Amino acid sequence: MFALINGLSAGMAIFLVAAGLTLMFGVMRILNFAHGAFFMIGAYVAATLVGSGPHSIATLIGGAAVGGAAVGLLGLAVERVVFRRIQHVEEHFMLIATFAVMLICVGAVKLIWGLDFVSVDPPPGLDGAVSIGDLFVPQFSLFVIGAGVAVFLVLELFIHRLWMGKMIVSITADRWMANLLGLNVPVAVTLAVVASFALAGVAGGLLLPNQTLSPGLGDAYLLLGFNAVIIGGLGNVRGAFVAAILLGLIDSFNAVLLPQAPGIAVYVGMIGFLLLRPEGIFAGRRA
Amino acid sequence: MTRAARLAVPTAAVLLLVSLPLWANSGVVFLAGVTMTSAVFALSWNLLFGYTGLASFGSAGFFSIGAYVSAVLLREGYGSLFLLVVVLAGLVGAAVSWLVGCVALRRSKGIHLAILTLALAELLRITLSHTRWLGSEDGLPNIPRPTLPFGFVSVDLAAGNNYYWFLCAACGVLTAALWWIAHGRFGRVLRSIRQDPERAAFIGIDVHACRLGAFTLSGGFGAAVGALYAPWSQIVTPDLGSMMHSTQPILFTLIGGATSFWGPMIGAAAFAVIDFGTRTLVGMSEIVTGSILLAIVLFAPHGLAGAWRRLAGARVRPNPNGNTAAGGAIGRPAMREGAW
Repeated sequence: MFALINGLSAGMAIFLVAAGLTLMFGVMRILNFAHGAFFMIGAYVAATLVGSGPHSIATLIGGAAVGGAAVGLLGLAVERVVFRRIQHVEEHFMLIATFAVMLICVGAVKLIWGLDFVSVDPPPGLDGAVSIGDLFVPQFSLFVIGAGVAVFLVLELFIHRLWMGKMIVSITADRWMANLLGLNVPVAVTLAVVASFALAGVAGGLLLPNQTLSPGLGDAYLLLGFNAVIIGGLGNVRGAFVAAILLGLIDSFNAVLLPQAPGIAVYVGMIGFLLLRPEGIFAGRRA
Repeated sequence: MTRAARLAVPTAAVLLLVSLPLWANSGVVFLAGVTMTSAVFALSWNLLFGYTGLASFGSAGFFSIGAYVSAVLLREGYGSLFLLVVVLAGLVGAAVSWLVGCVALRRSKGIHLAILTLALAELLRITLSHTRWLGSEDGLPNIPRPTLPFGFVSVDLAAGNNYYWFLCAACGVLTAALWWIAHGRFGRVLRSIRQDPERAAFIGIDVHACRLGAFTLSGGFGAAVGALYAPWSQIVTPDLGSMMHSTQPILFTLIGGATSFWGPMIGAAAFAVIDFGTRTLVGMSEIVTGSILLAIVLFAPHGLAGAWRRLAGARVRPNPNGNTAAGGAIGRPAMREGAW
C-alpha cells in the first residue's frame, strides 16, 4: 500500500517532466535533451525565490510559476535561435543540437549558482504526514500527486477542448497538411515549444522540496522522462501520463520487493517496451 | 596545401604526443593519456555513426565492460598477459555488442535505438554499482600497471612514463586497425549503407548483417580501449558507463567532424585543450563546448576536419543529390526515417 502511494507520487514527478518532453516531440519532432537542464533551471530559479524554507504552500506554487515563466521566456529565445533552424536537419543532428543547449545550460547553472548542493524544505502544511487508515502518507507525496493530476487535467483541457490545442494536435498529426489548410503553423509551434519549456520550469519548481539541487539534477529526471515519453508513444500526452504512473509503480515495487537492486526494474521494463512495443502502448492513437 | 605540409602536421602531432613526458608536467601527461584513449573510443563510435549511420547513446557501456575486465584480471595478477587481457576485453565487448545488436538493430533505429542503447548502458551501470565483488559504487581501485615480458627482456610498465608510451603505441595500433577497416571494402560498404540503405540492399548488400558487424566491431574496439584505460587511471568506477561518458564520443565526433576518419581524434584533442584552458572557471568548459557544438551543428556540419579540408583546398566532389561526396550528412529530409 505504501509502495502504491510512493509509486504514484514518483510517477507524477516523472509525468511532470515527461509532459513537456512529449509536447515538444509532438510538434517539433525533436527529442529534447535539454529538457532536464531547463527543469533544473526552473528548480534553481524557484529555489532562489522561495529560499531554503518556504513559508507556505502558496509561496512554493508561486515560486514554481515564476520559475516556469522564466524558463518559458528562455525557451522562446532558444526556439528562435536554435530549434527553428534545425528543423530540416537530420535527426541525430537535432539530438546533438539539443545536447549542446543542455551543456550550455548546465554550464550556466554552474557559473551562476555554483557547485554546492542547495536544499529546500517542504513548507508548513506539507512537511508532515497524514494517516489514512493505518498508514502514514507524507503530505508532500500527496501534493506531488495532486500537482501531477492538475497539470494533466489542464493539458487535457487545453489540447482536446480548446482551439489552440486542437491546432497543435493537427500539426502533430501532419504538419504539412495543417499548413496547407491555412493554420498558422509557426505561431502554434512557438506556443507549444514555450509551453513545453514552461512545463519543465514549473515541474522543477513544484518538485523542489523532493530533492537537493545540484548541477547533475537534470540527468536523472531526463532519463525517466524519456522512458515515459517513449513508452507512452512519442507526442502522446495521455500515453505519457499512463506510462509515467506505470514507471513510478514499477520503481516503487522494485524497491520493496528487490531492495538489494533498486532502480533496475525501470530499465528492464523500458527495454522490454522498446523491443516489444516500440510505438508505445497507445500505438496508432496519437493525441 | 602541399603534400609535404599534409604529412608534416600529423608527424608533428605524433612527435608532440610521444615526447610529452620529456617536457610537460605529470598532470598534462595524464590528461594526454586520457585524451588518447577517448580519441580511440570516439573513433570506434564513429565507425557506427559516421560510417554506418547508426547513433548509439550507450557506447560507454562497452568501454566500462572492457575497463572492468581488465581491472579484474590485473588485480588477479594476470599482468604478464596484459596484451592478451586487452584482446580478451575486446572480444568480450564484441560478444556483448553482438548480442545487443542482434536484438536492438532488428527492431529499432533512430530515436528508439538511441534510447534503447542509453537504457542498456544505464542498466549495466546500475548493475555494476550494486555488485559487491566489483566494488559497488566505489569501483575497483589500485589497479596495478603490468610488466610485459618480451622473451629475454621484460618491460615494467609501472616504472616512470613507460605506461604512457605503451598507451601511445597501443592506441596507435588500434587506430591503424580502425583505419584499415574504415578504408577497406567493409568501410565502403558501410558508407553506402549510411547514404542509402534501400539502394545498398538493392545492389545485394546484406544491410542488417553489415550493421550488426559494425555494431560488434565498434563495441569490441570500445571495450579494448577501455581495457587500456583501466591501468592508466588505476581505478574504474560504474560512472565510466554513465550517460555523460556515452555522450563524449558524440561530442568529439561532432566537434571534429563525423565524415572524416580523423575527425573524432581532432575533436578529442580540441576538447582536451578547451577543458584544460577553462579549468579554473567552473562551468565555463560546458558553455564553451556547448556553444562550439551548437555553432557546428548550425553552420558547419562537417566539423573542424571539414573546415580544415575546405581550407586545405582538397576537392570535395558534389554528387547528384547536391551533397558533398564526403558528407551527405545534412539536407536529406527524404530519408530521415531510415537514415539512422
